[in-house]
Amino acid sequence: MIKKILNNNTLRMITALTVVGIFSGAVLVLVHNYTVPKIEANKTKETETAIKEIFPSAAKIAETVYPGVFKITGHGGTPGGYAFIAAGNGYQGEIKMIVGVDAEMTTMLGMQVLESQETPGLGAEIVGSAFRDQFKGLSLAQPITYIKNQKPEKPGQIEAITGATISSKAVVNTLNKRIEQIRKKVKDK
Amino acid sequence: MERLTINISPHVVSPVDTRYMMKGVLKALIPAVAVSLFFFRWYAVGVIFTSVAGCVIAEYVGQKIRGKQVRVNDLSAVVTGLLLAMVLPPAIPLWMAFLGAIFAVLMGKEIFGGLGCNIFNPALLARAFLMAAFPVALTTWTMPVTLDAMTTATPLGLAKFGPYAASYMSLFLGNVGGSLGETSALALLLGLGYLLYCKIIDYRIPLAYIGTVVVLSTIFYFISPDRFMPPQFYLLAGGLLLGAVFMATDPVTSPITPKGRWIFGIGCGLVTMIIRWWGGLPEGVMYSILFMNAFTPLINRMARPRRFGMVRGKV
Amino acid sequence: MLKDFLKGLWRENPVFVQVLGMCPTLAVTTKAVFGASMGMATTFVVVSSSIVISLIRRFIPEQVRIPMFTVIIATFVTAADYFLKANFYQISKALGPYVPLIVVNCLILGRAEAFASKNGVFRSFLDALGMGLGFTCALVVLGAIREVLGAGTVFGYRVMWDGFSNWIVMILPAGAFLTLGLLVGVFNMVDKKISVEKK
Repeated sequence: MIKKILNNNTLRMITALTVVGIFSGAVLVLVHNYTVPKIEANKTKETETAIKEIFPSAAKIAETVYPGVFKITGHGGTPGGYAFIAAGNGYQGEIKMIVGVDAEMTTMLGMQVLESQETPGLGAEIVGSAFRDQFKGLSLAQPITYIKNQKPEKPGQIEAITGATISSKAVVNTLNKRIEQIRKKVKDK
Repeated sequence: MERLTINISPHVVSPVDTRYMMKGVLKALIPAVAVSLFFFRWYAVGVIFTSVAGCVIAEYVGQKIRGKQVRVNDLSAVVTGLLLAMVLPPAIPLWMAFLGAIFAVLMGKEIFGGLGCNIFNPALLARAFLMAAFPVALTTWTMPVTLDAMTTATPLGLAKFGPYAASYMSLFLGNVGGSLGETSALALLLGLGYLLYCKIIDYRIPLAYIGTVVVLSTIFYFISPDRFMPPQFYLLAGGLLLGAVFMATDPVTSPITPKGRWIFGIGCGLVTMIIRWWGGLPEGVMYSILFMNAFTPLINRMARPRRFGMVRGKV
Repeated sequence: MLKDFLKGLWRENPVFVQVLGMCPTLAVTTKAVFGASMGMATTFVVVSSSIVISLIRRFIPEQVRIPMFTVIIATFVTAADYFLKANFYQISKALGPYVPLIVVNCLILGRAEAFASKNGVFRSFLDALGMGLGFTCALVVLGAIREVLGAGTVFGYRVMWDGFSNWIVMILPAGAFLTLGLLVGVFNMVDKKISVEKK
């Protein structure tokens, strides 16, 4: 019987492929089971680290009913707020940020860049603290605007990175759009 | 170049050699250099000296390494150095200018086998390299005459990102921010006149290039005067004249047939305006010429003139 | 035997001589550490797939050998990808899609087809290890040069002086082509000199 199978070419091909397929499937199931919890933990940890950068005194970080939106509760009486993921198109590929606002959504508390592929040395400066710190305490009474080559003069204004207007603009637009969205969601609730 | 020149027939021996042509280009650059010295003072002196010195040194070293006869005498390295200086911003750190000069000669010319074998214009190639390596230094401009430390954008940059009231007299004379040799249209036109008079360059490429830009910008200005600047602005601002006169006409990297030269010039004009209007950068002359350089071998094959006595349609 | 191992490092170096696997070579070598991680991941895949293929080479029907090689290679690539994601999250994020793309690296299928399916396990192992290490070395050299000039550091340690301006072009795609071209040139120059001296 076995000899017959080995001699039949078509059957041999099918058997060989099936055996290899089953083995590789089994190996991948093992790898998957071992690694996926770790990968999930890595992702959660990354988000939490970024949120803690914005809310240093956060006591509790809880994901709301909306995925990617977190409610932050401070220690004792310290104020909390919301943190949420904002993503939009940059100069090259997507810019993914995590944004912190106070509970009333009137002031921005900070911003961290999770993922970006902007040009090194120019657009990539959106990751640097010189650019990001401008968002700390920024008024959200009006949409965020940017200005080129000079210090911001109006509330809610930031200075764009020299030579990287497109990346700066992308960040500002993404934030404005997402903040508006979140505001509606919070109001609805 | 001295030993083998590829061109269409008739072939005649003439006293025109590399050194003669390079000398002509140098003479034609005198007005532009003078204007840059007047407007940008010691910045211009430093950049020009560094860039030329860098090119000559690199040429000498490069030819020694390749075990070739040293031909620094043919002045081609001096021309490359001077042209590179003309397309650099005045306040560029001198070591960057030096690095650019070495890149121009070694990576732009020697590595392909020396003068006559290169695909891309060496000076523009070096500028593209510097632009990618040091984007901030290459887009930091200086006010002319006053040499204000306060940086300013070029007219094209200002027009791209907001309403801009151009002073055409300043643009014509060169009293605006920009690369050393690109600001003054007057000086470049004098150079063009000299080159055409001495028959060092062919009128077709500059005419096709500038003509395309003027025609395109006229059409678009006619369609929507609020969104586009008038044609005289696109003609005078930026590096168009410098590129059309001194860069696109480089005999090594541009087509050799008359028809090919028309195609080359029109292509340059088209790419320049596409970048200026819709690209991420305010200026497109450098990339348009490098882009068309890449097509030169193809254009040469496509635009081969008909052989004498051949009937059209039968090859 | 030793020759099987050594040829991948120099005479048949996958990057400088065979010019294989250009996609990861050019794309991920912005830093030496990325080059090293990509090289090691590739080495793991090429070594393990070569061993497995060499072990079962008598049972592989001629007509379906390429699908079988691909399934085996893809299994190891997926395992490597998950492993990196679980244990070296930041590196895996920086390498992005290029880890799963190891599966299309011609170096690996090339070794399976040209060597592992015709030779014994131990020789296939040596051959794959040599090729993998040769690939890794090339990527590390490329990454180190680009990192020094593009960011002033090697493996994250600052080596350039304080006032050094980074040559941003080196960490852009253009810098990858420039560096690779020059390295291949230098490699050939040295190789020529060695073979002239031998004669």
